[in-house]
Amino acid sequence: MLKRSTVFLLTLLVIASVFVPVTFAQDKTVVTVLNYMDLTAPGTQRQLDEIWYQFSLDNPDIIVQREDLFLDAFHNKVEAYAAADKLPDVMFMWPGGRSTTLHTNGLVKDLEPLLGDFLDDYQAYVRAPQAGGFVAMIPSTITLSHAFYANVTLLESLGLSVPETYEELVAMVPTIKAAGLDVVLMGAQDDWVIQSCLFSMIVGRLTGDEKLEEILAGNAKFTDPEFVKSLEFYAKLYDDGVLSSKIMNTGYGEVKSLFAAGRAPFLIDGDWATGDFISDEEGNALFSPSEQKGIKMTIFPAIPGEINEKTSSGVPGVGYGMSSKIEAGSAKEEAALRLIKWLSGKKFQSLELETVGTPPSRTDIDLTQFPLEPLIIERIENFSASVLGSTYVLDDIFEADVFMPINIGLQEIGLGLSTPADVAKATQNAYDSWVK
Amino acid sequence: MKKAVYWTEERRAYLLLVLPALVIYWAVIAAPTVFSLVLSATNYNGGPLFSASRPFDFIGFGNYTRMIQDKFFWISLKNNMYIVLISVFGQIPLGFMFAYVLHRKLVKFDDFFQTIVYLPSIISTIVVGRLWQLFFSAYGPFTEFMQRFDPTWQNKLLIDPKIAIIPVLFVILWMYTGTYLIIFLANLQKIDPALIEAARIDGATEWQVLIKIILPALSGVIVTSSILAISGSLRSFGLLFALTGGNPARRTSVLALYMYDTAFLHSPRYGMANAISVVMVVLSLILIIIVNTIEKKFGGSED
Repeated sequence: MLKRSTVFLLTLLVIASVFVPVTFAQDKTVVTVLNYMDLTAPGTQRQLDEIWYQFSLDNPDIIVQREDLFLDAFHNKVEAYAAADKLPDVMFMWPGGRSTTLHTNGLVKDLEPLLGDFLDDYQAYVRAPQAGGFVAMIPSTITLSHAFYANVTLLESLGLSVPETYEELVAMVPTIKAAGLDVVLMGAQDDWVIQSCLFSMIVGRLTGDEKLEEILAGNAKFTDPEFVKSLEFYAKLYDDGVLSSKIMNTGYGEVKSLFAAGRAPFLIDGDWATGDFISDEEGNALFSPSEQKGIKMTIFPAIPGEINEKTSSGVPGVGYGMSSKIEAGSAKEEAALRLIKWLSGKKFQSLELETVGTPPSRTDIDLTQFPLEPLIIERIENFSASVLGSTYVLDDIFEADVFMPINIGLQEIGLGLSTPADVAKATQNAYDSWVK
Repeated sequence: MKKAVYWTEERRAYLLLVLPALVIYWAVIAAPTVFSLVLSATNYNGGPLFSASRPFDFIGFGNYTRMIQDKFFWISLKNNMYIVLISVFGQIPLGFMFAYVLHRKLVKFDDFFQTIVYLPSIISTIVVGRLWQLFFSAYGPFTEFMQRFDPTWQNKLLIDPKIAIIPVLFVILWMYTGTYLIIFLANLQKIDPALIEAARIDGATEWQVLIKIILPALSGVIVTSSILAISGSLRSFGLLFALTGGNPARRTSVLALYMYDTAFLHSPRYGMANAISVVMVVLSLILIIIVNTIEKKFGGSED
C-alpha cells in the first residue's frame, strides 16, 4: 500500500503538470502552423534544427505548434481546415494553383502593408499580385515545374549524349531499350505529376501563354487546334517510345531512387527534385558529389513546331501566409509576422539554397559563400541559363474543376483510353460548367 | 375494472437504461446520417455552415444527377461491387475453410497456420498498401521474378485499366481472410463436440458432418460475417489509397475514394460528397437486407 503522503505528492504532481504549463503559457503567444515538409528529404533535419528550433530559442515568448504534411495529404488538409473554418495562424502556400481557395475566399491577409520595407530586399516578382489580387505570401524563389535530368555517365556508356532536339531523343530510343532500360522516368502515379512537370511545358512551347489567357477569358477554347496540338504531341511521346505507361505505376517518392539506380538515362520532374539527390547530414546521398558531376540538368529538347523555344513552365515559388482571422494589431499578429519574416529571411533562404539548390528571392544572399554540391551548382548555373523563358503551369492558372479533367485525361491518353480530342472536349465541358 | 398503467416501474426502468445508448446512437450515428442527407441536397462548398456570409442553396437532387452522369461514379461503383463479391464469396468461404481445417485438426502445426493467415489482419492498412504497391510496381520484385523466366515480360498488372483491379482484389483477399478465420474458429469451438462424435459413430462422413451439422449451426455467423464483409467492402479506403490512390486514371477507384476526392481533392464539393455517402449507406442497407432474406429462407438453426 502506498503511504498517504506519497499519494498526496503524486496527486500534487499530476495537478501541477496540468496547470503549471498553462500558467507559463499565459505569458506566451501560441502560433499554429501548417507546414509543408518532406520528412524524408536529406535537408529536413537541418531545417528542423536551424530554422524551427532556432526560432523557438530566439523567440521564447512565442510557442509554435507545427503540423508537418507533404504532397496531397497537405493539400487535402488545407481544404478540410478551410471548409471547417479552422485554418492555422500561419500556413505554407502557393501563389495560386492549389492554394487558390486561400487566396480567393479571403482566408489569408495581404502581407504587403504589414511587411513594409522588409520586401525591399527581395526580387521584384515577390510584389506581384497573387491569385487573390494581393501579396498573400512571400515567394522564396521562382520554381520551374519542368526539368529534364540526364544521366550523362549512363548515356556515354551507351555511346549517346544529351539530345538537343526531339528527333535526336527519338533516335536514341532503340539503343536505350536494347540495353534493357526505360527512356524517361516519371513518378506519375499521382495525377498532378504529368500535367505539372511535363504537359504544362509542352503547352508553353506549342500553344503559348497568350492562347491560355484567351481561353481563361472565354475568347478561345480548349478544343482549338493550338491546344489540341499540345495534347497530340504528348500522345506521340508514347507512340515514339519516349514515355511508357509504366510511369503511371511509379510512385512520386519511388522515382528518384529508380533514376539513381540507372533504370533510365532521363528523368522528368520539377527543379525541386535536386534536393532529393544531394547528401544529408550524415553524408548519405542518392548521388554522391562525384556522381552528381555526371548528372546534367536541362529542359526537354526542342519540340517540332514550337512557338516558344527553350521554355519551361514555372511559377513564383512557395512561401508562408497568415490567416485573415488573426486580429489586426494583436500580439498574435505580431508573433505570426515575426515567424513569417524568419521563414522568408536570409537564414532560411540560405539553407534552402544549400540543401535544395533553390535560387533565393532575396537579393542579399551571396551564392559563392556556400559549400554547394555539384548538382546544386548545376541547377543554379547551367539549368537556369538553359531556360530562356517561363510559361504558365496549368494548375496555377486554372481552377481545379478545369485542370482535373486534364490531369486524368493525360493518364487516359497514356493508357490508350482517350484521344487528345476527347480530353480537349472533356476539359472544355468542365470549363463551361465552371463558368456557369 | 382497474385501468392498466402504461408507465409501470419496470417500463420506466427499461427506458432509463436504454436512454444513454439511444442518446449516443443518435449523436454519433443517426444525427450525422440525417445531416449528411440534408447536405447532399445542397451546394455547400465549405465555410461556416450557419453564417450569413456564406449561405448555401438547396438544389434538390442536383448532386445525385451530377453523380450518376459522372463516369467515375460508375467505375467506382463497379469496383466496389467486385470488392463485395471477393469479400463475400472469397474471404468468407476461405476463412471458413481454413477455420474448419484447423478446428478439425486436419493439418499439423495448426497454431502456426492460424498465425500466418491472421497476421495480415493486424498489420496497418497503409503499410500493407505500400508493401504491395512496391511488390507489384513495374520495377518491383514481382516484375524481377517474372523476368527471370521471360526477360521480355512487362508488368501491366497495376497499369492495364482492364485488369488493374485484380491485384487489388488479391490483396484484399490476402489481408482480411484471417479476420473471418478467427470468427469461424471461435464459433466452431462453441459446437458441442459430442454432437459431431455421435454423428461420426452413426457413420456420417466428414462431408455430411460439415453439411448437416456445422454449416446449419453457423448460418447466423455466416450472415454476420457477410454483413461485416459488405459494410467493410463499401467502406474500403485506406488500402486503395495507399496501393493505387485510385489510379491509373481513376480506374481502381471505389466509392469511398471517389467521395474523398470529391470532398477534399482540389476544389471541395461537400454537397456531392455527401450524396455519394448517402448512396453508400443505401447500397449497404440493400445488400444487408438481401443477405438477411437469404438467411431466413435457407439458413439453419443454431440450436
